[in-house]
Formats: sequence, structure tokens, C-alpha cells
Amino acid sequence: MGEEVKGEFEPRIIGFTCNWCTYAAADLAGTARMKYPPNIRLIRQMCSGRVDPLFVLKVFLRGADGVFIGGCHPGECHYMTGNLSARRRYSMMKKLLESVGIDPKRLRMEWISASEGIKFSDTVKEFTTQIKGLGPGPFRHIETEGKEQK
Amino acid sequence: MAKGDMYLAQASDKEILKQGESGGAVTALLKFALDSGVVDAVLGVKKRDGNNRYDAVLDLITDPEKVIDCAGSLHCVSLNIARNVKEYLDGAKQMKIAVPCKPCDARAIIEIAKRKQINRDNLLLIGLNCTGTLPPVVAKEMLIGEYDVNPNEVVMEDIEGGELIISLADGTKIAKVLLELEKKGYGRRDNCRRCNVNIPTMADIACGKWGVKEGEKKTFTEVCSDKGAEFIDNAIKTGVIKVEPPGEDAITERKRKDREAIELSNKCEAEDLKELRGFNLDDRLAYWLHMFDRCIKCFSCRDACPICYCKKCFLEPDRGYVKGGEVPPDRMFHLTRLAHDGDSCVNCGQCQDACPAEIPLTRLYLMLNIKLSPMFDYVSGMDVEQKPPLIAAKDEEASIDDIDIFLVKGEASEVVPQQ
Repeated sequence: MGEEVKGEFEPRIIGFTCNWCTYAAADLAGTARMKYPPNIRLIRQMCSGRVDPLFVLKVFLRGADGVFIGGCHPGECHYMTGNLSARRRYSMMKKLLESVGIDPKRLRMEWISASEGIKFSDTVKEFTTQIKGLGPGPFRHIETEGKEQK
Repeated sequence: MAKGDMYLAQASDKEILKQGESGGAVTALLKFALDSGVVDAVLGVKKRDGNNRYDAVLDLITDPEKVIDCAGSLHCVSLNIARNVKEYLDGAKQMKIAVPCKPCDARAIIEIAKRKQINRDNLLLIGLNCTGTLPPVVAKEMLIGEYDVNPNEVVMEDIEGGELIISLADGTKIAKVLLELEKKGYGRRDNCRRCNVNIPTMADIACGKWGVKEGEKKTFTEVCSDKGAEFIDNAIKTGVIKVEPPGEDAITERKRKDREAIELSNKCEAEDLKELRGFNLDDRLAYWLHMFDRCIKCFSCRDACPICYCKKCFLEPDRGYVKGGEVPPDRMFHLTRLAHDGDSCVNCGQCQDACPAEIPLTRLYLMLNIKLSPMFDYVSGMDVEQKPPLIAAKDEEASIDDIDIFLVKGEASEVVPQQ
């Protein structure tokens, strides 16, 4: 984690990315030297369908300002329907966040295939700007260090 | 006979006719189910010690002669039938059981049957119309304070046309407007106020007294499944119930009363959720965090929830989401439950009844469920074949690229209930 510039809010965004597409897209963006904000921390999953709604909730409660989920385009899932389930969960999570009072705009999902490095960097830029506009997440104040669960 | 047929039914047995409410058809059918061997047992609800109507208990009856103990309806009950079937009767996997149940019980049974914890094929669900139940202790207080009667003298309660009517042993009837009682903190259970499923058409048979003329001792019966149709057919053939077709006016009257009850529930829902809906996000979060922090982590909500079934629960410390030995528990406790059950909640209110900290859980679950239901075209607990929405991704969705397809669908219908 880079040093935060004093005075300016630097969001912490957790990105759950699919091994077969979005993670590869991020890789591509990297090797192609495309620039995107360093605010996103990627966690590689084998499939967007592996992203349990509880991951999203836990990440928010531990102080993240935004959560991004990247998966393969519908019809292109390595596991046939993993991303379709992910879309349903994502839709449910949006409403859940709204019901308990966390801004649903802090959660974003996007289909990014392995060849779409540009789409990946654009999405991250856009999402980071959006989160900057929303300000710190509701649990940002929580000190995560030293309080990690086993 | 087929699905969708309706009758006005009455028990042939004199004793049942006398003891039962509205003609005793339900009691007669339950007895017939045992007699004829359609089921091995009846899971009835009866008064404790035969006289305490404020302490109803479940009873697994195998002797046909004892079915009559369950005759008559009780309103001051909130028994957790689905959970009991799952937990203590091995999910009806070993025996066939007839279960007289309210709409929420039937829906809970269907939801948990989808999760393979109850064998729906072994159950004969005899649905009973319901417009709400009352919490027993509060009801007693209300009878003393508002009705000015001795609770033990009450022989019948009834909710009709927005009024709670009680009948005493000497024949006196006292009616009071429900909404006014509820303003004072009495009346129905919190979730019942907002429940809009009054006729249990998801059960095998739906019985009730709507559509029956005042003073007539008959039960309006609707056949809701093929299993129900076969069962009723045999019951009529054996002569345990006498049936006649209902007139057009009876059917319209039943529909009208149902609509009336739904309107009342919509009104209560708008009223109850007004505050929460009016909050901005920050206030809403503050409200819920404040509520969650009242939690003493007794796990009652989880243990009471008829839909929770994981053998290794995510709330246990070894799962890594909620740390052990912390009170109030990590906020993940309630959010986990919400994420797991929100889509399939049947608004039975068991969690809130069980909560010693009085966290208004049903409001939270309902708020979410109202939004999810139109999104996924899913009403929980209606059809055992319909999978829970989060695991029901269809093949044709693979050709839809729009990431917000469900959200857009949900928003399109959201305008209606919000008024």
C-alpha cells in the first residue's frame, strides 16, 4: 500500500477477479503499461461465481471503500454458469447493501474478458473516481491492523 | 375432483361438528387421514393440558380418536411447525405426516423442502386461512386491560374485517379495531401485521371460513394440489365430510375478504416501513448498527429460522466470519444471516419472536425481500419445484450481457408498492 497523499482521500478498493478473464485482463493492462489508479487491490478467484456475498460484506466491514467484481462475459464462463450465479448474487447484494444503509454504488461488477485490458483500466479509473466522489466507506475508520481474525 | 375445485364442507361426525370450528371439516379430514392410512401421524396444535389457549403445543397424534383434541382454532400461538418437522421428526423422511398449517408454516415447509431437509412428498399440508396470530403473553395483557375480561373465560378469538373479536363462554362477543389495539402495542405479532398471504394455496388443501355465511357451520375448502384432490375425493367417498358446491356469491365473498385483508396488510406495511424507507443511507446504517449492537449472540434467530439449515453454520467461530466470545457479536453475524436467508424469507416472524433483545429483524428481512421478489420473479415458499433465486441461473441468461438485468427489472416494479 502506497503512502497516502495528505489531505486527499485515497480509496481502498478490493477487486475480486476471475482467474480466466478479468485477472488476465489486469495482467494484460500491466504488461501493456496501461495506467490505472493503484487504489484497487486484486484478489484472484477461480471464478466470479466463487465470490460469496459474505466476502463482500466482510470486506466492507473491515474498512474497504469499494468492492469490484470482475467476471467473464455471460456464455463464456470457464465453469458454464458461474458468472450467471455471480450476477444474481451481485444483484441481491446491491439491494442488501441498500437495505442496511451502505451505498450500493460502492459495489460494482463488470464483465471483462482476458483481451479487454483497456476496459479493465478504464473501469478501475472510473470506479476509483466514483468512490472518491462518495467519500470514505462507512467502516473506513476501523483500524484493521492488529485486529485481524484468525 | 381436480386442483382448483372448491367446496363448502362439513364434518359428518356429530362430535366433531360440535367441537370443531366452522363445521369441523379440518378435524374430520385429519381424522380420516389417520383412519385411512394416508398418513402415519397428524401433527396437530392443541391447548396445553386441554384448557390453556395461551400455551399451545404441538402434538404428534397417531390415535385417530385423539385428533379431536386439536379441534377449534387458536390465535395466540406462534409455533414453529416447519422447524419442528425438520428437527424432531427427521424432516418427515421416515413417516407420512398430515400437518394443519398457516400460510407461513406451509411456505416455510416448502422452502426447507427445496433445501432437501424435509420430504414434501411425505407431508399432507392442510392449509388454514390466517389473518394473523397474537403473541400469547401480550394477548393476555390486552384481554385484561383493553377487553376487561378474564383471559381464561375466552372461548374463541377471530380476526375479521380489521377487528379482533373475542367470544366468551356465555356467548358475549366483544370486538375492537385491530389497528387501534396495535397502536397501543397490543394486537397481532409484528410480522403478521404486514403479511399478505392469507389463503394457503401453496398447501394441498386450503380451508377457511371466508365465503361461508354467518352462522353456517361449514368450511370453505379449496383443492390446491393433485395430492389434495385425491385425498378429498376419498374423504367424500367414505362420507366423513359432506360437501356442496359454493355459490358464485360465496366465491366472490371469499375473494373480497382476502382482498380486504391484503389491503390492510399493505397499509400496515407502508406504515411500519415508512420510517426505515424515509431514512437516508447513513441514518439507516446507524439505525441497524444500533439494533445489531443490542444482540447478545444467543443464536435464537438462527435456531428459530425455519430456513437456516447448514450443518456447519457460518456464524460459528471456526468459520472465520464471526469471532467467538464477543458480545455484541461482529456485525457479520446479522449480515450473514440476511445474505443467506433474505431471498427466501417467508416472513414467519420466528426470528423476531425468539429474539430476547427485540431486534426488529422481520422488518429488515421484509425490506430486502420486497425488493428481491420482483427482481427474480420469486415469491418464497410457493412452489417446491422452484429453486431459490440465487442458485437458479437459467441457461438462457448466458445470452444476456446486461449486468443490471435484475436490478432494472426490480426497479420497474418498485414504483407500485412504495406509493
